[in-house]
Amino acid sequence: MNDVQPSMRQQNRAQLLLLYFVLILLAVFMLVPFAWMASASLQLDKDVFRFPFRWIPTVPRWKNYELIWQRIPFLLFFANTAKLALIITFLQLVTSSLAGYAFARLDFKGRDIIFLGYIGTIAIPWQAYMVPQFIMMRKLGLYDTHLSIIILQAVSAFGVFLMRQFLIGIPKELSDAARIDGLGEYGIYARIMLPLSKPALATLTIFTFVGVWNDFMGPLIYFSSEKLKTIQLGLRMFISQYSAEYSLIMAASLVSLVPVFILFLFMQRYFIEGIASTGVKG
Amino acid sequence: MKKLCIIAALMIVALSISAADKVKLKFVVWDLNQTTYIQPVIDAYKAAHPNVDFELINIPANDYDQKIAVMLAGGDDSDIISVKDIPSYAGMVAKNQLEPLNAYVTKSKVDLAQYSGVIDQIVVDKKLYALPFRSDVWIMYYNKDAFDKMKVGYPTNDMTWEQYAALARKVSNGEGVDRIYGSHYHIWRSTWQLPAVQDGKNSIISTDYSFMKPYYEMVIAMQKDKTIMDYASLKVGNIHYSGVFYNGQIAMLPMGSWFIGTLIAKTKDGTNTQKNWGIVKYPHPAGVPAGTTAGTITSLAINAKSANKAAAWDFVKYFSGPEGATILAKLGTLPAIRNQAVLDAIKKVEGFPQDKNSGEALATKTVRLELPNHPKAADIDKILSQEHELIVTGSESIDQGLANMSKRVKETLAAQ
Amino acid sequence: MTASASKALKSNAIAYSFILPNLVIFAVFTLVPIAFAFALSFMKWDGANPMVFVGLGNFSRMLHDENFRISLLNTLYFVVGTVPTTLVFSLLLAVLLNREFVGRSFFRAAFFFPFVASLVAVSVVFNMMFFPSMGPVNNILRAIGVSNPPAWSASVQWAMPTVMMAYVWRSVGYYMIIYLAALQGVPHELYEAARIDGATPGQCFRKITVPLLTPATFLVTILLTIASFKIFDLVLVMTGGGPGRATNVLVYTIYDSAFLSFEYGYASAQAMVLFLIVLAITILQFRGEKKWVAYL
Repeated sequence: MNDVQPSMRQQNRAQLLLLYFVLILLAVFMLVPFAWMASASLQLDKDVFRFPFRWIPTVPRWKNYELIWQRIPFLLFFANTAKLALIITFLQLVTSSLAGYAFARLDFKGRDIIFLGYIGTIAIPWQAYMVPQFIMMRKLGLYDTHLSIIILQAVSAFGVFLMRQFLIGIPKELSDAARIDGLGEYGIYARIMLPLSKPALATLTIFTFVGVWNDFMGPLIYFSSEKLKTIQLGLRMFISQYSAEYSLIMAASLVSLVPVFILFLFMQRYFIEGIASTGVKG
Repeated sequence: MKKLCIIAALMIVALSISAADKVKLKFVVWDLNQTTYIQPVIDAYKAAHPNVDFELINIPANDYDQKIAVMLAGGDDSDIISVKDIPSYAGMVAKNQLEPLNAYVTKSKVDLAQYSGVIDQIVVDKKLYALPFRSDVWIMYYNKDAFDKMKVGYPTNDMTWEQYAALARKVSNGEGVDRIYGSHYHIWRSTWQLPAVQDGKNSIISTDYSFMKPYYEMVIAMQKDKTIMDYASLKVGNIHYSGVFYNGQIAMLPMGSWFIGTLIAKTKDGTNTQKNWGIVKYPHPAGVPAGTTAGTITSLAINAKSANKAAAWDFVKYFSGPEGATILAKLGTLPAIRNQAVLDAIKKVEGFPQDKNSGEALATKTVRLELPNHPKAADIDKILSQEHELIVTGSESIDQGLANMSKRVKETLAAQ
Repeated sequence: MTASASKALKSNAIAYSFILPNLVIFAVFTLVPIAFAFALSFMKWDGANPMVFVGLGNFSRMLHDENFRISLLNTLYFVVGTVPTTLVFSLLLAVLLNREFVGRSFFRAAFFFPFVASLVAVSVVFNMMFFPSMGPVNNILRAIGVSNPPAWSASVQWAMPTVMMAYVWRSVGYYMIIYLAALQGVPHELYEAARIDGATPGQCFRKITVPLLTPATFLVTILLTIASFKIFDLVLVMTGGGPGRATNVLVYTIYDSAFLSFEYGYASAQAMVLFLIVLAITILQFRGEKKWVAYL
């Protein structure tokens, strides 16, 4: 055994180095647009699309990062977007996990048809029913309010589908055991399903948060007053009929990605724990 | 007691009169932050009419048409609507969303002739639905230093397209990234196609586009011998005409007069390093008088659902009339009313090129709308742009592309 | 009422209480507009003038509409090209990033982030790399002897593949997250046992990972299929549907019908056809679920 181990260690090290090499190559490939965004954000507009592009600007224009806060009410837009993202993400987590559990574990009349209905609606592009939806919201007096977007996005077929797929993968024995112990459905949901679905909840959090954070069409249609607008609408204010200030757009975009980055790093820790450790044998 | 009642009654009447006089007008605009003239006109109007207040609804330019369509579909009651282009105008008219202005025009005795013949092009079924306040025309910008360097004479206010092409070839020089191109064709189809309709014999909306062939041949030849940058590079590289002009990479640029204000501002802040620039009139086909050019208009319309139509009309009349025109001209924007007073005001704007030719470049004889008013204008514009792209990238021959244009537009016009 | 019937009623009621908050909001604010949009597909409406009933007129128009045919074919091409590719790459990435090593969170973030990058940045970078005259890709191709490298997004044949590449590049990180989450549910003991028995990593992957990840693969397949049928934003920014109509996709055509031509009825009819196609594929996938998806 002893003479096998050193060469196995060597093999593992070689594998690890190869892994790092491949990953670094891929990561560079994936991050090139961000490098471009960063470089463009420090240049003048006329040089942003210069060919060949100067990756390292001769005189970095740090002023751009000051301008974005002055030229548009960026802080206000930031706060609005954060408010919407947090509220909607929370609501989606609650409604999707509840519904997902029901579709995954409970047997009730009409379950499969309703579920298929949910999935079917994902297939319809929003452009198709945008106008009827808007007319309805307007008649309800919700136009030009944050509540309109919150209501529209608090519930999503995507979230329900995601949660159902994850919850269906949790071993039935766990919930059966709990039922024998006298736990009701809500108890099973809260005490067993939710803790075991942390990776799924983390996934849904990331997807929903990013979705709301980067959403442009919804705020465009439903917000008219400046005090309600979001970051994406703010970015559009740097584009005018005949020109666009891409350097400022890129600077503002990068700044707006910082919370997303922080959230991602925070959430992806939940991908480390799994149900393997809690185990069926408990 | 009786006195009290009388006083109370008088107070109520007085209050209701002043309450009735106070008006709040909702005005929908785009690019409020980048447009220099909107607030000054509003301020001037409010000074003269203290009982009128404004609520501005600002929409990003690129999303304007879409959002307005959704807003109006939902029953929006904004009073004054800015009309950005002909397709959206045609759409709003077809949907009966705009108030006809004929009665107001007659009552206020507005002289429609002061709009250089543009009014006729936006009347639908004898009804006028908007008043233009701004009109941009196509002209030619040029970089004096580039011409001086090659010891070539500057472009003049009276050039035919052949003379222009020859001039562009003469002034081109250099290789690779240091090349200075004689001219520049921005990716819009209008830059290539507008010369074809200057003589007034054909329209952009047609069933046979073979009349465009000589003009496509002219520009494709320029693309081939590198007098201009090729379309593919411009599109893929997202190259904007302003950038290449500021960097001194092009000697001439056929473009709309909206660029004047931008050039002045960017020269002032140093972004534009080519300080010696000038303008001349748009070249013309042989036999067509100089000063014939193409243009676009920006107008104001009144929402059919507005609750303050009379007050809205008063503002529209002001903005589009001589008072508004003067304010726009002083700020370097070309108003729809273009008389000598307006042209003189523009010449006096700080940063406007002071040579004689530039001063006369904005005097126009006939302005043909870039896209004529037609219910199917938007669809046809799209078809023309798609086939245009195939021709200029070499994916289709000129004949093939023009034949496809003709066939597809014919089908669109035939369908109801 | 019998004891079992009342028990069934009670469990139904409890189940419905779980989905009710979701279902009510969903029904009112999404299903109703969608139903209205579907009703619209039998009408002619421009958003202001009264609606006119045209029966199946919109659908027969679609059969002869060249625009619709071109965008349908383009969309199918896009779906077939991107779904399997994205799926395979996202699975491989997830497996790579599931082991423990230093810097793992950084790499996970790096692969996810293209999804949140500005579409303009994505388009610019791709167009820069694939710039016809002077870009690195074509320079390399010329160096290895390809005499006439393609004009990529400015060429009718290569524009769609270019957009597809950008889409795959952008999306792998997103679906990798789903696989990463699912991988947490695969018990470590299985791998340890297999290794003790002498299995190679390749065999572990094929015999343990892939089968146990089938629920996630099912989810990713359906989501990917639907998402790629609905592709719109990326095309808009990268090529605008061109050159010509080479990258015109279904949602683009629907969007134009609604907001360029103001034909909401026709737009709804096209959306309905898109929906039916996707629904058919989804139902097929669900039927297949029982055959190849293994739930623990």
